[in-house]
Amino acid sequence: MDLLLQTLVNGLLQSGLYALVASGLALAVGVVGIVNFAHGEYLMIGAFLAWAGSAFLGIDPLLSLPVIAVAVFGVGALTYRVSIRHVLLAPELNQMLLTFGLGILLQNLALMLLGGNTRTVSTPYQASSLQLGDLSVGGPKALAFALAALILAGLYAVLYRTTVGRQMRAVAQNRRGSQLIGINVDRVYLIAFGVSCALAAVAGVLVSVLLFASPTVGLVFALKAFAIIVMAGLGNLTGVLWAAVLLGVSEALVQTYVPGGGGWSDAVFFLMIFGTLVLRSFRGAR
Amino acid sequence: MKTLLMTGVLLAVSGASAVKVGVLLPLSGPSSVSGQAARSGYLLALDEINRAGGVLGKPLELEFADDGSNAAKAVPEFVKLVTVEKVDFMAGGVSSGVSVALSGPAKQYNTFMAWTGAASTVVEDAFADHPYFFHYHPWSYYNFEAILGYFKYLKTYKKAKNIAIAYEDGPFGSASIDATIDAFKKAGFNVVMAEKFKTASGNFGPLVSKAKAAKPDIFYWVGYDTDALPLATEIKQQNLQLGLLYGTPPSWPVGFEKNKLADNVAGLSLWLSSSPNKDSRAFVAAYKKKFGTVTDEYFAPLAYVNLKTLTAAINRAGTTDKDRVAAELAKTNVATPFGPLTFTPSLKTRYQGFKAGNWLHFQFLGDARVPVFPIKFAQKPMVYGK
Repeated sequence: MDLLLQTLVNGLLQSGLYALVASGLALAVGVVGIVNFAHGEYLMIGAFLAWAGSAFLGIDPLLSLPVIAVAVFGVGALTYRVSIRHVLLAPELNQMLLTFGLGILLQNLALMLLGGNTRTVSTPYQASSLQLGDLSVGGPKALAFALAALILAGLYAVLYRTTVGRQMRAVAQNRRGSQLIGINVDRVYLIAFGVSCALAAVAGVLVSVLLFASPTVGLVFALKAFAIIVMAGLGNLTGVLWAAVLLGVSEALVQTYVPGGGGWSDAVFFLMIFGTLVLRSFRGAR
Repeated sequence: MKTLLMTGVLLAVSGASAVKVGVLLPLSGPSSVSGQAARSGYLLALDEINRAGGVLGKPLELEFADDGSNAAKAVPEFVKLVTVEKVDFMAGGVSSGVSVALSGPAKQYNTFMAWTGAASTVVEDAFADHPYFFHYHPWSYYNFEAILGYFKYLKTYKKAKNIAIAYEDGPFGSASIDATIDAFKKAGFNVVMAEKFKTASGNFGPLVSKAKAAKPDIFYWVGYDTDALPLATEIKQQNLQLGLLYGTPPSWPVGFEKNKLADNVAGLSLWLSSSPNKDSRAFVAAYKKKFGTVTDEYFAPLAYVNLKTLTAAINRAGTTDKDRVAAELAKTNVATPFGPLTFTPSLKTRYQGFKAGNWLHFQFLGDARVPVFPIKFAQKPMVYGK
């Protein structure tokens, strides 16, 4: 029973990180309507910035988090201005090729500038945990979960309670109609894409604390994020947390209870994407 | 000096072209710490070789390529080096998963392989019949022989009996896992857990929970540097009480020793910069002069030794003819930072360099890797948690 409970906690904690990465991706897909294959690379930028702040300036990654979020918002906004906005009306394949290329470019820039080595940060709370009898709740992962829940709630509030949020929803529903009623669509896209990148960077800061920073660190999480947004339904922000919890807990259960389960963890999210798509097409057919 | 000069002039007149060595390394991806360390070792050796007159009287040329720690990327890079760049010899190699994928093209092009890395027996099988495969790194059973010796010592003196094993699911971690479990059992240990994991996933929560339920004395993991910190973090978070956390990654993350979580973590290394061996001290001094730092990554001196011995064999052969160079390289008997290097047969391959006798066991103690076993090399007493 203890092992089962700990397994559920492990899955729940892991899902916080997944949800954090997926929330930004869901925003880009839902509002801008672009599948950003470079999303993991913005996470990587966040992780490296957190590492650099810690290694060279001695700043705790969590303290530098707001600054990094703003900085990567800027990088995302610049990316939108320079590249994304030029393909918004292009066929989807072109959009995907652009973001895929962008991901390769950012990854290789990181390799050129920083090398391929794994970088780690050292913080006093890195291994902190709350012990409830035999049950352990890891501090940084619990923080990631709380942050993900907070960010998703915040995003929801912004989308439904603020002018810019309403504009985002309007643009997501009908780009041309929004333009006709005077919404600056280009500005809305820029904000949404910038926020999406900033959210990836926030996840990156936590990844630097929990794991490491390296040019390829974003890939694993970006793949999981894609699985989550497919499960939640493209652009469905409210579904992201539940889909992340489902993925995290499923992985933990497989890893703990299936013999050789550690080697099967990647199969879990592929299976979930497959299952979701089959279920959706079945519902669609009816 | 006169002879060297004359040889150089004669070779230059004879029109021998510059020798090109292709170096395939993981300069990115999960094995990149080892790959980058190896690159530094090659560059240091290149400097020394060319300062001493080069190879066959001309400056040695190195062609580096990044295999990305990925077999799918490694094969085309290898083929490009051999067919487009037309390198005379191939050197490098770290990851087993990559090396095994190269056995096909290596045999197809009959490539001379002076190979530094790859410990898996899957690679040994794959290259068993290749006549030009010189393997410098010990095979996994040599590594394991050293590990078993250390653990037997812990069993006798620290009452360590229960071992939990975590291994990455690629050839490096998985190929010999059944033999490893059998050997531990035969040596009187209880293997209370043996679990696979995906390297670089960072998701060790469930695995550590299982280990906690199994109450091990030693937690033994076989993976890459990317797994070191996440695993140590999870063990600490879940308050898993261990005698020893022991890992065998080919390299450790940059700056790991400065992290509190690294304290008392133990590992295996072919070499440490603190080694008192004369050639090791010379290597450390030369490395510091060139790069301004000191490294503890053994792939740096391993690559250095690899290129120095290969080029020495080419110079002795006086030609790039593969058979003659192989014959000369096979006769290698030199002092190195790891101790003497000779090539003798392994279980399956003809030319095996370093074996079990070269391994050291260290612990991260006070921001440094300190040798703790074999006892005669120990610089501090080991810290055992139980």
